[in-house]
Amino acid sequence: MTTATVTAVAPLPAIDHGHAGLGNQVVSEWTKFRSVRSTWICLAVVVVAGIGLSALVSNIEAGRWTHLGLVDRAEFDPVRFSQTGEFISQFVVGVLGALIVTSEYATGSIRTTLSTTSKRTTVLSAKLIVIGAVIFIVSEVTAFISFFVSQAVLVAHGGKALPAGSTILDQLHSATIPVVGIGSNGAVRAVFLCGVYLTLLTLLACALGFVLRHTAGAISAFVGILLVLPLVVSILPSSFSGSFERYLPSNLGLAMILVTSRKTDFAGVLLTPWVAAAVLAAYAAAAVVLAGVLLVRRDA
Amino acid sequence: MITASRITKTYGTTRAVDDLSFEVRPGVVTGFLGPNGSGKSTTMRMVMGLDRPDSGAVTIGGKRFGDLRWPLHEVGALLEAKALHPGRSAANHLLALAQTNSIPKSRVGEVLELVGLEGVARRKVGKFSLGMSQRLGIASALLGDPGVLLFDEPVNGLDPEGILWVRNLLKSLASEGRTIFVSSHLMSEMAVTATDLVVIGRGQLIADTTVSDFISSNTEVTVLVRSPGAVQLADALRAAGAAVQETDDGSLLVTGWDAARIGDVAHAAGVAVHELSPQQASLEEVFMDLTSDMVDYHGQTPVEVGS
Repeated sequence: MTTATVTAVAPLPAIDHGHAGLGNQVVSEWTKFRSVRSTWICLAVVVVAGIGLSALVSNIEAGRWTHLGLVDRAEFDPVRFSQTGEFISQFVVGVLGALIVTSEYATGSIRTTLSTTSKRTTVLSAKLIVIGAVIFIVSEVTAFISFFVSQAVLVAHGGKALPAGSTILDQLHSATIPVVGIGSNGAVRAVFLCGVYLTLLTLLACALGFVLRHTAGAISAFVGILLVLPLVVSILPSSFSGSFERYLPSNLGLAMILVTSRKTDFAGVLLTPWVAAAVLAAYAAAAVVLAGVLLVRRDA
Repeated sequence: MITASRITKTYGTTRAVDDLSFEVRPGVVTGFLGPNGSGKSTTMRMVMGLDRPDSGAVTIGGKRFGDLRWPLHEVGALLEAKALHPGRSAANHLLALAQTNSIPKSRVGEVLELVGLEGVARRKVGKFSLGMSQRLGIASALLGDPGVLLFDEPVNGLDPEGILWVRNLLKSLASEGRTIFVSSHLMSEMAVTATDLVVIGRGQLIADTTVSDFISSNTEVTVLVRSPGAVQLADALRAAGAAVQETDDGSLLVTGWDAARIGDVAHAAGVAVHELSPQQASLEEVFMDLTSDMVDYHGQTPVEVGS
C-alpha cells in the first residue's frame, strides 16, 4: 500500500437481465453470518448447553427418584428434563438473532447493506431466512441428541420404559425410573417443537433488532418478554392474569414440549402444543411485519 | 450523472438540506464543498436512497435509487469508512457485498490489489487504521465497476502519499467517463483534484460551477507591485484611477487592474518596477469568505492575556 500510482480498474461485464434479488441477499447474509466469531460461539453454547445441561438435570433427577413423594413422581417428566438446556439456549439464540441486525446498526454498516438493493425488505427477509434456517437445524439436532443422551442417562441409573398404554398412575407406582422412548406418545412432537420454539424466538429477536436498531435495547426487550413479563403477570390478581398467562411466550414454550399423556398436569392452564406453536408463530410474524414497515419507512 | 432537483430534508426542527438543486456530470471530478454540518453527508445519503427527501428528488443516470436493478453496478459509495463489522476480514466484507449483486468472487482480490490492501485481505478490519479503512471503503465502492461514484471525505486519515493516491485515482476514474462526486472540507485538496464544484452552506446551494470560475468570479484580480519608487508609483496609479494599497513591507497591492496596465503607468511615470505579479486567491480563501456567515460551529482563537 505504498504505491501512489493508479492501476486502472478492470472492467466488469455488465448484467442486463434480472435484478439483485432475495437469492443474492441470502448468499451474502450467509457469508456475513459465518465470517464472524460470535456466530460460532453462540452456536457452540446452544449445542453444549443444550445437551450438557439436559444430561446433567436428567442425572440429578434420576438420583432423586427413590426419595420422591407421589406428587414429585407424577411430575417426573423424562421428555422435559431432556430439553432443560432450552432455558439457556433461548437467550443465546435471541442474542444471536438480534445481533445480526443491531451489530450493523451499531457500526453503521446497515447503510452499506441497504445500498446493495433497491428493495429494503429483501435484507429483512434474507436475514430471517439465514438465521431461521441455521437455528432451526442446530436446535433440532441439539434437541434430539439431548433427548437420546438424557434417556441414556436415566437408563444408566436403572431406568426402564413403562409398558405401552401406561398412565401417570402407573408411573407413580413404578419401582424403576421411567424412561421415554422416542416412539412413545408425543415424544417426537415435544422434541421437535423445542427446536421450533427456539427458531421462532430467534425470528422474534431478529425482528426486534430491526424495530429497535440497538443491541442493548433489542436484547433487553427480548429478555423482558421472556423473564420480566411473567413476573409482572404473576403479580396481577389471578382472576385477571389467569386468562392470558397461557399466552406468554415462556408458557407457550412450556406448552410446546409437554407430551400428551401428561397434559392433565396443566389442564386448563396451558394451550395444546400445536396451538401454542401457532400463537408464538403469530407473535413472530407480527414483529416481522412491524420490522418490515419500519425498515421501509424510516431513514437508514 | 447525478441530478438533484429541489431536495429538502428536515430532521426535527433542523433543515439539513434546503431546496437544493445541482447536477454532477460524468467525465470530471466534482467537488462537494461545505462547512461541517452544511448538509453534505445528508445529501449523499439521499443520493444513495438511504434518507428520503421531504420533497424533491435525486436521480442517478435518470433513475431514482429505488429503481436501480443492480445498484452496485450503477453506483458505488464510500460514506463512512469505519462502518464495518470489526470481527470480519476485509476479504469477507467485500465478498458479502459482491454476492448481493452477482459480482464474481475474483473481483474481490482485484479491488483489494487496486487499493493496496491485498496483503491484509485476511486480517480483521477492526485492526485497520482509518487510512486502511478508507482504502477498503474505496475498494467496496469500486466493486461493481459503477459509472457513478460518491466519496464522503475520502482522504480523511490518509498520509500524504495516500492523499496523492486518492487524487490520482479520482482523476483517472473520471477520465474513464465516470461521474465522480467527492465531498471534502479540505478546500486545497479540492482545488487540485476537482474540475467542477458544488458548494453548499446551511443546506443551501452557494455555487454550482467550475473551480476556476468559482475562484475568478468571487475574487477581484490583485497585482503585487515592488518598486524602489513605490510612493511615487502609488501616486501615479491613484491619479490614473487604480485602487492601491500599501503593504507593511513597502510593496503595493493594486486591485482591479491587470499587470500590463500597471506596467504602462509605471513606464509613463518613469518609475522602475522590480516585481509585477498577479495574485491568485486560493479556493480556501474564497470559500472562507463566502461561507463565513454560514458556519454553524465557530472555533475561538485564544485571546492573549498580559503584555
